[in-house]
Amino acid sequence: MTLVNRLGGVICRLKSLILGTAGTVFLASCGRNAPQDTFQPKGPNAQKIDTLQKPVFAVAGIIGVIVAVAVVYSMVKFRDRGQPIPKQSHGNPALEITLTIIPALILAVVGVFTFRTVFDLNKTSDTQMIINVTGQQWWWEYDYPANNEYGITQPIITSGQLVIPVGTKVMLRETSRDVIHSYWIPALNGKRDAVPGRITTNRIEADEPGIYAGQCTEFCGLSHANMRMEAVALSKEDFAKWVANQLKPYAAPAESTLAKEGETVFLNQCTRCHQVNGLTRADGTPVIAAPDENVWSGAAPNLSHLMSRNTFAGAMFNLVTPECRTDVWKSESVTFGAKYLAGVDEPCLNQTDLRGWLRNAPAMKPMYANPALLAATGGKYRGMPNLGLSESDIEKLVAYLLTLK
Amino acid sequence: MFTPGSKYLIAITGLSAVSFALYMLLVHPSALGAVALIGLVAATSLITGVALFTRDGHTPDGQTSAATVDTPTPSMWPLVGAAGFALLLVGTITTPIVFIFGIVAIFAALVEWTVQAWSEGASGDNAYNASIRQRILNPIEYPILAAVGIAVIIFSFSRVMLATNKDAGAIIFIVVAAVVSVVGMLISLRPSLKKGIIGTIAVVAAVGLVGAGIASMGVGMREDLVVAAEEDHYAHQECGEEKSEHFDKGVSETISATSGVDATIELIDGKLTAQVQGIEGLQDSITVRRSNPSNIIFRNKDAGEFRLKANLGKKQIADGVMEEVVTCTQLISEGAEQWLTLTINKPSVSGEPYTLSIPGLKGQSIVVVVP
Repeated sequence: MTLVNRLGGVICRLKSLILGTAGTVFLASCGRNAPQDTFQPKGPNAQKIDTLQKPVFAVAGIIGVIVAVAVVYSMVKFRDRGQPIPKQSHGNPALEITLTIIPALILAVVGVFTFRTVFDLNKTSDTQMIINVTGQQWWWEYDYPANNEYGITQPIITSGQLVIPVGTKVMLRETSRDVIHSYWIPALNGKRDAVPGRITTNRIEADEPGIYAGQCTEFCGLSHANMRMEAVALSKEDFAKWVANQLKPYAAPAESTLAKEGETVFLNQCTRCHQVNGLTRADGTPVIAAPDENVWSGAAPNLSHLMSRNTFAGAMFNLVTPECRTDVWKSESVTFGAKYLAGVDEPCLNQTDLRGWLRNAPAMKPMYANPALLAATGGKYRGMPNLGLSESDIEKLVAYLLTLK
Repeated sequence: MFTPGSKYLIAITGLSAVSFALYMLLVHPSALGAVALIGLVAATSLITGVALFTRDGHTPDGQTSAATVDTPTPSMWPLVGAAGFALLLVGTITTPIVFIFGIVAIFAALVEWTVQAWSEGASGDNAYNASIRQRILNPIEYPILAAVGIAVIIFSFSRVMLATNKDAGAIIFIVVAAVVSVVGMLISLRPSLKKGIIGTIAVVAAVGLVGAGIASMGVGMREDLVVAAEEDHYAHQECGEEKSEHFDKGVSETISATSGVDATIELIDGKLTAQVQGIEGLQDSITVRRSNPSNIIFRNKDAGEFRLKANLGKKQIADGVMEEVVTCTQLISEGAEQWLTLTINKPSVSGEPYTLSIPGLKGQSIVVVVP
């Protein structure tokens, strides 16, 4: 039995499986709930990529089909059936030159449009806003340098969700504090590596208010798959409100409340790594967190205005319940800003995940946080350790965190 | 039956093992003590085993000890191997270089002893056996010995040069080079010179050089080098207005880097300005990330030599004692540029802000904001 016959037999036996798999893959491409779909651009930069990739994909697909059909035809038509070997001919200059020129022309045409798109995407001269994006295992930090045009009178620092105004050319200045990461919001632009010691730039712009999901696309360690991000686009008016909220001074919880007790727990347990701007000790001295002494990357998320975000733990978990999140995600452009800016209140708080995180963070997100295995990092954590908090402390902390709006 | 010697050795081995067990169980063990005692147990066990196997060299009349059968030729390599093993153990708890020497000694002993043992069984002719050993090992031994010899010469000579003052060092260098050249020339002119004489000259020179090197190590480095090392002249930044004798030596005034710049700071006509990528116009503040190296280019476009100094707050060095944290570029001339990398671990949320300034230039500074 020839190889082709044996292969045919195998294909016949597995045809149900093959057809089923192919059908599943095909139907998966029709999925509508695909927030990281590269074929659904929501901004001019992603649109440029889409405009380029669709015709290139079509041309490549047609050529691929032609080649595949030719190969299969040759395999079947000229398969070994015991016939004598056909006449062998070598050299056909006209055919060979034609088969060289055609692909070269196709590549040249594709190359021209590709280069033009690459240069367009790299244009930075008309940037309207700068945001510094810093990656570390396994979350993204965003800091907004002072920019009077947008009312940013003092730098703003946040994490998990990147908030931008719509219709604004935003330049992300990316780098990393530990290993190479890669920043990618498919709906807004292509991916760009964040490399330690280097600044790479990436321009994004959103057409409409909304939330656009992304994912680290450079393998960066244990929780690479859980290093997510979301870009939140707000109308310019709503963005101004967001900025104003971020610049609001710290409001200490009222005395004799559970939240006030939570502030004490936070001071004792969390400020070794997490900064809350404006938080002071009992003697009035400002609290300066020291993540550089405790965390390998030297940074931990700044939790000022935590409840103005919808995610935590590197955007792996929602800070709001699924119902509240759906309410924000699915809202119309007109109402989206108001719903997002409402932040997180107690009824909407995802208590399950937040309490689970406070109870034992490494159990919820894989991290190198075992104190016995930190020799390589000089005893510093990569990720949040299990703090061994009591249920009472967790209760107080949740009450306190709810005040960080 | 056990011989008296074997009994003593068994007792020593037992005592060593008991000592090790007591040390590990009752005393707070240290790596040094544990390695020393386990080494003692291993050594006495080995010697005891050999003594028992050979019956301490005592054989009854009419019998033959196993150890007397096919006795190998005496060799120094087991000794080298044992020394290597000792170095290996010591190296595990002291410094890596001792450990590496131990590995090298064990490896050399294994190769040499294996080839020697193999060659001795090649034939009944000792001369032939020796020749095949040389054919195999000499191509390895000679280059290694040459390399070791050169390393010893360089190390010894460098000790001498570091111990003597600069002027004397130059004279010594010239004289030694001249003597080597003259002796080499004389030997080449007299090819009939006896090998013994040449060997004697080489041995005397080598012994003299190594001896001088050892003596120089005993004396130590000359004073100016000791002072420079103690005061950390070449790494210690002196960020004042005046030119530093050491820190400003060998100034680098060009930058080859083209990316990864957070800000460019320029001094033009007595005015300090900042340019940040992506922000139009000149700035009077820059934002850098916390706990992340941020690269800044300083360009001096003013007449005269200036340096850029980063004032990074204060740190506590003792109870109630604060010290200013600063870093700076070297003093660079007009038209020159230099790179300054800042890593700031604390946010500038309160107290005095971080700034960039020019020593000697009043009223000009760039605020460094760390969110």
